[in-house]
Amino acid sequence: MTSVRRLLALPEWSGQVRVLAGAAGLDAPVRTVRPVAGPAAGHAVAADELIIVTNPPQPADWRVDALLRRVVDAGGAGVLVPCGPATGTGTAPGSGAPAGTGTMVGTGTTTGSETTTDSGAAAGSGSSSGSEVSRATLLLADRLGLPLLGTVGGDPLELVVAARLLLAEPEIDRARLVLAAHRAFDNRTCAPEDVVRRLKDLLGVPVALLDDRGEPLAGEVTEPGAVRVDEFVPQRVALAGGVLLAHPALLPHPARPTLWLVAELRGTAAARAEIVPPALAVAAAAVQRWLLAHRVELERDARARTALLGDLLRLDAEPSAQLRRRVADAGWQLGGWHVGLRIGAVPALDLVPWTAEISRVLRAEGVEAVVVEHGEGWTGWTTFAQEPTPARVRALAAKLRAAHRKLSGSIADHMGVGRPHPWPEGLAGTVAEATDAARLAATRPEAGFFLQVDQLGMAQLLLEWTRTDTFEPAARALLAPLRDQPGDLIRTLSAYLDAESSIAETAAVLGVHRNTVAARIDRVERLLGVDLGHRDERLALHLACRTVTLPGR
Amino acid sequence: MALPSQAWVAAATRAGRIGSAIRRPVSGGAAPRGRRGAEGARRRAGHVRQAEGMLRIESPDVDALERGVAVLGSGGGGDSRTAATLLRRRLAEGLDVAVRPLDGLPPGARVVPVGVVGATAVFAEKLPGGHEVAAAVEAIQRWTGERADALVSIEIGGLNGVLPLVAACDLGLCAVDADLSGRGLPRLDQLSLAAAGRPLTPAALAEPSGQVLVQGTGAPADLERTARTFLPAAGGWAALALAPVPAGELAACCVTGSVSGAVRLGRQILALGESPDPGRLAAATGGRVLSVGRVVEVTRRPGPEVHGRPGFARGSVTLTGHASGELLRVEMENEYLLALRDGLVVASTPDVIAVLDRRTGVPIAGDTVRVGMEVMVLQVAISAFWTAPGRIGVLAPRAYGLDSDPVLLERGGESVDPGPEGRAQPGGALPEGGAQPGGAGAGAGA
Repeated sequence: MTSVRRLLALPEWSGQVRVLAGAAGLDAPVRTVRPVAGPAAGHAVAADELIIVTNPPQPADWRVDALLRRVVDAGGAGVLVPCGPATGTGTAPGSGAPAGTGTMVGTGTTTGSETTTDSGAAAGSGSSSGSEVSRATLLLADRLGLPLLGTVGGDPLELVVAARLLLAEPEIDRARLVLAAHRAFDNRTCAPEDVVRRLKDLLGVPVALLDDRGEPLAGEVTEPGAVRVDEFVPQRVALAGGVLLAHPALLPHPARPTLWLVAELRGTAAARAEIVPPALAVAAAAVQRWLLAHRVELERDARARTALLGDLLRLDAEPSAQLRRRVADAGWQLGGWHVGLRIGAVPALDLVPWTAEISRVLRAEGVEAVVVEHGEGWTGWTTFAQEPTPARVRALAAKLRAAHRKLSGSIADHMGVGRPHPWPEGLAGTVAEATDAARLAATRPEAGFFLQVDQLGMAQLLLEWTRTDTFEPAARALLAPLRDQPGDLIRTLSAYLDAESSIAETAAVLGVHRNTVAARIDRVERLLGVDLGHRDERLALHLACRTVTLPGR
Repeated sequence: MALPSQAWVAAATRAGRIGSAIRRPVSGGAAPRGRRGAEGARRRAGHVRQAEGMLRIESPDVDALERGVAVLGSGGGGDSRTAATLLRRRLAEGLDVAVRPLDGLPPGARVVPVGVVGATAVFAEKLPGGHEVAAAVEAIQRWTGERADALVSIEIGGLNGVLPLVAACDLGLCAVDADLSGRGLPRLDQLSLAAAGRPLTPAALAEPSGQVLVQGTGAPADLERTARTFLPAAGGWAALALAPVPAGELAACCVTGSVSGAVRLGRQILALGESPDPGRLAAATGGRVLSVGRVVEVTRRPGPEVHGRPGFARGSVTLTGHASGELLRVEMENEYLLALRDGLVVASTPDVIAVLDRRTGVPIAGDTVRVGMEVMVLQVAISAFWTAPGRIGVLAPRAYGLDSDPVLLERGGESVDPGPEGRAQPGGALPEGGAQPGGAGAGAGA
């Protein structure tokens, strides 16, 4: 922000303008400079305004005092008055004024002057030389803390022009930079690396593109961690000896910006901190444009693959030539033995951008698999040329489990793996098995939310059996007395039955004391009126528990 | 010419005062007058309040009158000391000085406005010969063919507040408890007669060396111009007499009760003694003390030209207040006209702005104020005559070329100005009522 002191340093001002009084306010900000013809009232004064009186006021004009007060009351920055030729030193008027000859009618002439400050005691004829600003005015400016400037000989309008050019300079600079940025980032979509390079050339400072964790994707700045990546607004972070400006490139659907464009201004460049942000915004818009185009491409691919997968899963006869063609275009393999996968996504995740990441993780584990966004997760399969041996299937399962561990938390919630089935009818089968396994895995924290159909055996069958419309209401009715009871009885019962009626094991799984488990089981038996030592009742309750605790029911 | 008018004698007899007025010179002497002064003050208090009673000026009252008119001079009006000395001399000779209320005169009584115009400072150096007012009145009587029954002052502020009483004494006429200004004024065309739309002419000017000038016709501004042209030739000052105004008509175009008001104001200030407390001063005068402090700057400069001749000199007095260091700047021409506290206009003409010596309470005129003086600045409300719509413009700051709206005390001592009056007097509601000073009892008479 420009201050009165800064204006005084202007070449047009220095030597022409001096501070008469009120030096305490010299660092006040100046936003506008306004010329007025005289000190008379009649124009409103705005805040941070410097008033320049263009015509010399009358000697010892009281209206200058009133103007000072109006400026102070309005929060103005100061007052400049023309104060005649530079003969005096400012505060001490010439004491050697010629003897008064003025004719005064009314009060008569005064005789004798006792003080030197009484400049006009000799009939006031000394007004044409010396200071024209009275001591009272200077005292008032000092008292109000408002800079009172005097210009000697200079044209006040020249001062106004010079000051206004200075005040407009940041605006002009900013406009110039924004225009250049628009030229650099025109309608063509360019990759983020190009954006970073061009912006760096434009600004002449280090520029970087950060991802949503603050890690650099392109370019380089010294302190990328200073950006607060959780606040999706343009940011200005003070650094030691500089400033870091960051602008998010936001995508519409997920509020989280995928990228941040950051410029680091140090040393003299820090003075441009007010000027750079609009240009940064233009560049961020270019990044955003690229992200959107990229996203549209991904989205289109994902839709095509999802549709193709749907067609394949519904297949009940030999695929048509057209379908084969689409499968070949997608780079999928139909022949051989397939092992299906199902990955459940964490809730409310935007699937499309993560598909590539899942493929990458699987590839890193040595699994070449097709992965397609499907429902609330991903469906996929991997293909063997011949029927895989059990050892190879186990090795595959181990690799998938490792991959799941990497993905779980941020992307994947649970994973199911089917058994190997041969083409063509086997694809739908193994995918269905994987889907069931995944649904079951969602309720099995003890299995790390990962299940393979080979491990399921009876569980899978029972699961299929319980998915009828008649059993589920019956199961709910059976367990109804346990609902709304303290002690999480249904979960305790479920864990107890899963743990083969071992109280110690149940206590370990639930993380409670074994006496608590014993007491809860006791209450369950009383509430339901059953004997858990009886195998039929135990079986019925076990099935009911499994049905009720399944996700999505 | 030297005889009292029949109307005055009749009224005085009816009021039962003429006897004592005649007897008193016989027993005149220094010792008895001193005794009478004390008990007289008590009696007079009663007289002032009597609507039909006349005010007898006695020796102790002269001090009060002198102080009162000096305050009402608002820094101008000239030195009242010479006129007061003349008045004291008349009293010492045993003459009776009485001031009659305007409504105590028959409606047809012819009242001649008199006063002194010109450089009033010269008045103290070039003393009057004693015949000037008589010459002016004689000239106006001859011109109009009417005999004067009573005299009224053209200006209560300063010298002219006292001198007409001396003239009335000398001419054997009665003085009227009224004036044409209510304060000190610089120009003839500002007199209340002109403000009320009456002509000032014919008017007679008589200067000490014997020249007499009568202006038969002309607008008030013409008379002002003529007088200003004549005065340098006259040696600085001249006595002025205007055409007689019937008492019945005068009530509507003058400020009534001003002499008794000035006496009362002076008495209240004198009663405060030395170094008066600002709060009590404000309460006693019904005014407001704008600041108490030390004069840090006095500037004087020639005013703008009027009709090609130099105008009245201008100037300003600035003091720093002792209370909070505030800067009070008082702009003056012949009188103190405008007061700014820290750049904000807090008081203006037509209210009276008086600068008083802090210790003695004596008003300091604009031409004698000096850097280093310890002073207090007092604002006193002007008569209601001037605040009436259509009249305030005659005395408002813009009438003096000061670009500001009037900022006046309200009736009761509150300021119209809503500005930061941190130091406003605590007693806004005054024990004696705020409408007293400055002849503000005026409204009743008009």
